Amino acid sequence: MDLSGCAVVGIGRTAYTRRSGRTGLALAAEAVRAALDDCGLTAADVDGITCFSTGDSASPLRVAHAIGIDDIGWAVGIHAGGNAVATVIANAAAAVITGQAETVVVYRVLDASVRYGKVTAEVSVGGVEQFAGPHGYLVPPQWFAMWARRHQHVYGSTCEDLGAIAINGRNHAANNPHAIARDPISLDDYLAGRMVVEPFRVFDCAYEVDGAVALVLTTAERAADLRHPAVHPIGAADSTGAGGMPDLWDDQTAMYSRDAAPRLWARTGLSPADIDVACMYDCFTYTIMATFEDYGFCGKGEVGDYFREGRATYGGDVVVNPHGGLLSEGYLHGLNHHYEAVLQLRGQAGARQVPDAELALVTAGAGPYGGAIVYSSRRP
Amino acid sequence: MNASQGPAVDRSALRPPQPAPDVDTAPFWEATASGHLSICRCQQCGLWLQPPLERCRRCAASTAFEPVSGDGTVSTFIIQRQPAVVGFFDKVPYAVALVDLAEQPGLRLPGRIVDIDPDDVAIGMRARARIDALAGGDFHLPVFVPVD
Ligand SMILES: [Zn+2]
Repeated sequence: MDLSGCAVVGIGRTAYTRRSGRTGLALAAEAVRAALDDCGLTAADVDGITCFSTGDSASPLRVAHAIGIDDIGWAVGIHAGGNAVATVIANAAAAVITGQAETVVVYRVLDASVRYGKVTAEVSVGGVEQFAGPHGYLVPPQWFAMWARRHQHVYGSTCEDLGAIAINGRNHAANNPHAIARDPISLDDYLAGRMVVEPFRVFDCAYEVDGAVALVLTTAERAADLRHPAVHPIGAADSTGAGGMPDLWDDQTAMYSRDAAPRLWARTGLSPADIDVACMYDCFTYTIMATFEDYGFCGKGEVGDYFREGRATYGGDVVVNPHGGLLSEGYLHGLNHHYEAVLQLRGQAGARQVPDAELALVTAGAGPYGGAIVYSSRRP
Repeated sequence: MNASQGPAVDRSALRPPQPAPDVDTAPFWEATASGHLSICRCQQCGLWLQPPLERCRRCAASTAFEPVSGDGTVSTFIIQRQPAVVGFFDKVPYAVALVDLAEQPGLRLPGRIVDIDPDDVAIGMRARARIDALAGGDFHLPVFVPVD
């Protein structure tokens, strides 16, 4: 795999708010325009557009139209959640490298009509969820609380370990003016947090917001003439198991990354020790715990100590979620992690800049499915 | 005062999620309606299949539903403390487990653990299915009762 003929050249986003009072289409158009402005391109330069969604989003066709494009050569919507972020970007890179499009926009938007943590209206549920919903078991915090409990049972991990992950991200978010939650928390604060679905407290769960984020990808050649240093995707890997059904996964102490990580490191020739910044998908604190182990940053059951000892922050081994992640910056379904990685590798992250950041791991997804991309500040 | 606000909705009166069976899953709900737990099984290689499939995922042979013991083990569980799912807003706290059925490793159903204080539920606990009526409609579903 070689994605290095492609580069991320532009990044854009809206404010992240609890309630914007705006449509998804309006938010997406703003983020895409911001990403184009960032690199000095215009809508006339865009010949590809893609997003992932669970049927909730302004479609690529409508967003292209909304920013004034009348002829879009490559428009691809993927029905998926955060598991597909790496896939979508790798597909966009492949489209650029193979000449299906020269300049591709990737975006994700969430508006107030989408909140995954609760189901408040009467529903009939089909598919595998018909066996779960009637038990009052239907939303992602419940699925992953099951996983976290299993890890606690098998490896002796604790709520304090999950708290160490939440605290690390919140401390980072204090340096991020764009984050929705910026007040640092102590372990006491964490433990005093409302228990939502045991073993998850409120601080274990992503902070759902309204907002949109967009990236612009183009050829490495064209990138050289644009405004900012190019950031190159240098490898990607995915895995889906158990048909994407969280309850059916054979070992809930590990995630998709158990299978995707060896693939990623083999394709890139890298190892965890090479990574400067790790934007870890964190729909829940436990997602970081399980995937951090799977990607090989530490052994099973060691994540709590790793974070408590300062190894996941500035001056440590790798800075995990300098922006605060989905837990504290806001739940943009993981595309905001890519925005942060690009900012860090450009050296433009301001007060939260990771010194000399050259390689960033960005993970996507949780449970039985997901993937990752490694970005480099240099074309290999 | 917000003049546009309608009358307060009594959320506790809302129905819990109801199953929407398809042709592959309907026999599961037909069995529970008659008081039994039945699971889809390959008629050639014997593999139990949950969720059900028209044909076996291992050997592609035809499948049929067969009764199971209902005996299982708690693989993991949650205690829902805050309202999250319609029909259960006034039911917290409640425990839901992933129960591994005795018939085959990894043959798993989610289900509420009942007749026990949620704080006393534990991984590894043995439990047995009991068919209860589901509020708000004609469906019945398997809940799990701890056994000694
Ligand atoms: Zn078979």
